[in-house]
Amino acid sequence: MQEKMIHRHDRGSMFIHWFNAACWIILTLTGLGLLSGDINPLGAWWPNAMRALFGSPEMLLNVHMYLGLFWAVVMLGYILARFRHSLAFVREAVNISPSRDFTWIIKRNIQLTLGDKALNRLGMSTDIPPQGFYNAGQKAFAQLSIIAGIFLVITGVIMFLSTMVIDNVTLVAWSRTIHFLFAALALAGLLVHIYMAAVSRDERPAFRSMVTGVVPESYARHHHELWYRQVKEKI
Amino acid sequence: MKKKYAMVVDSSVCIDCKACMASCKVQHDLPRGYWRNWIKEKRADFSMGKYAYAHFQPGNCMHCDNPTCVHACPSGATYKDDDTGMVRINEGLCIGCGNCIVACPYSARYRHPVRRVPDKCDFCQDRLAMGLQPACVDTCPTKARIFGDLNDPESEAANLLGTRETVKITTEPEDTRPNMYYLAATEPMDWPGEVKYPAAHRAMTGFVNPLFKIAVGLSGLGVAAMFIKQLLTSPDSSGQEEKKQEEA
Repeated sequence: MQEKMIHRHDRGSMFIHWFNAACWIILTLTGLGLLSGDINPLGAWWPNAMRALFGSPEMLLNVHMYLGLFWAVVMLGYILARFRHSLAFVREAVNISPSRDFTWIIKRNIQLTLGDKALNRLGMSTDIPPQGFYNAGQKAFAQLSIIAGIFLVITGVIMFLSTMVIDNVTLVAWSRTIHFLFAALALAGLLVHIYMAAVSRDERPAFRSMVTGVVPESYARHHHELWYRQVKEKI
Repeated sequence: MKKKYAMVVDSSVCIDCKACMASCKVQHDLPRGYWRNWIKEKRADFSMGKYAYAHFQPGNCMHCDNPTCVHACPSGATYKDDDTGMVRINEGLCIGCGNCIVACPYSARYRHPVRRVPDKCDFCQDRLAMGLQPACVDTCPTKARIFGDLNDPESEAANLLGTRETVKITTEPEDTRPNMYYLAATEPMDWPGEVKYPAAHRAMTGFVNPLFKIAVGLSGLGVAAMFIKQLLTSPDSSGQEEKKQEEA
C-alpha cells in the first residue's frame, strides 16, 4: 500500500541533524574520557580505555577540543547562513502550551514505560493531547540542547584559551564544572532521544524522515496533529 | 622494582645560603619571581638572650602519598607516578584550571606565567635520567639535602630513615603524607595552609557528579523500561491501538 507522504525536513536540516548527532556522540564519549578516574561517574575504566584508544591522554584532549571547536564553527555558520530557519526552530522549541504539553509529557511517559492500563489505573484517560510540529518531549530536548550547546561552547572556548591567554584560573575551574554539568544534562536527554529514534517502534517513521525528509500522512495525523492540520490548511 | 623517590633533609646544617634555590632556578630556567623550592626560616628570638637561635628549613614539593593536588585535578594531568612515587604534571593534558595550586597546602606549585600550566619540583627528571642528583642536592655545600629511593635499602636516604628519628611537616584537616623527611627535628612546623579544595572542584564532586548519576541513571532506566515494554507488546497490538485511536 502506497501511503501519501508529507514533507517534513529539508536537506539542510537533515545535514545539520546528522552532523550534530555524530559530533555530540563522539564529544560525549571522548569528554567522559577526560575526567580523571577519581571523579569519573563511570569509574576509572572508561578514561583508561579512551586514553589507550587514542594513544595518549593528550591526543584524547586534542581530538575533543578540536572536534568541539569544529562543531561550534560549523554550527555557527549554519545558524548565520539559515538565520530565519534557525530562529523559527527556536521559536517552535519554546512555543509551549502548558496544559497541553505538561499533560502530554506525563501521560506519554506513563504510557511508554508502564502502558495504557497504568494510565487507566491512575484514573487518566488514554487520549493524548494533540501536538504540533514537535511534541512536548522533542521541545524539551530541543530547549535543553540549545541551552546546553551555548554553555558548552562558551565554557569549552574558555578552557581552550586557558593555557594561551587566560590568567583568571577561577574562571577556568568553573568552566570545567559547568561544562560537565551541561554535558551530563544533554546526555540524559540524548539517551531518550536516541531511544525514541532508533529503537522505539512508534517513532520509526520519524527516524526514516531524518533521511528521506518525508513522513507518512497517517503518522503526521497521529503524532503531530496540530502540525498536520496546518499543512492541510495550506494546501 | 618500583622506586619511591624521597628527600631526607638535615635542616640543622642548613646555613640559608640559598644555593639550592639558585641552582634550581638556573637548572629549570624558572621565570622571574618564581621558585620551585624554598628555605623557611625560624627567626631568632633575642629575648631568649644567649639561648637565642635561628633555624633554616629547606623544602620543595613533598611528592605526597596522599596528594591533594592530584585529588583536585579534574583531568588527571597531575598524577602520582606509580613507578617512581613522584607527583608529576602532564602539561599536554592540563587545561590550566589552577585547582591543584589551591589544593596544595605547601604552596609548592605556581602557575607558570608564560605556559599557564602549573610548575613545581620534579626532582630534576632530566638530571636523574643522566645519573645525576637533583640540582639542589648536588649544589648544597653542607649536604643538608639527601635524595634517594626509599625502596632501595642501600640508598643513603633509606639508611637514614631506618636509623634516625625523623619528622614531617603535617597538614590539617587532611594528612598529605609527604615524602619529605627532616632528621631529628626542624623549625618552623606550622607554616602550611589548610588543605582546601577550590569551590569549583567541590561543586564538581559534591553536586555535578551526583546529578550526573541521577539524571543519566533515571534517563537510562526510563529507556530500559520503554524497551522492555516494547518487547512485551507485539507489533500487531500496538497497531490495533493506533487504529482504535484513529476511530476515536
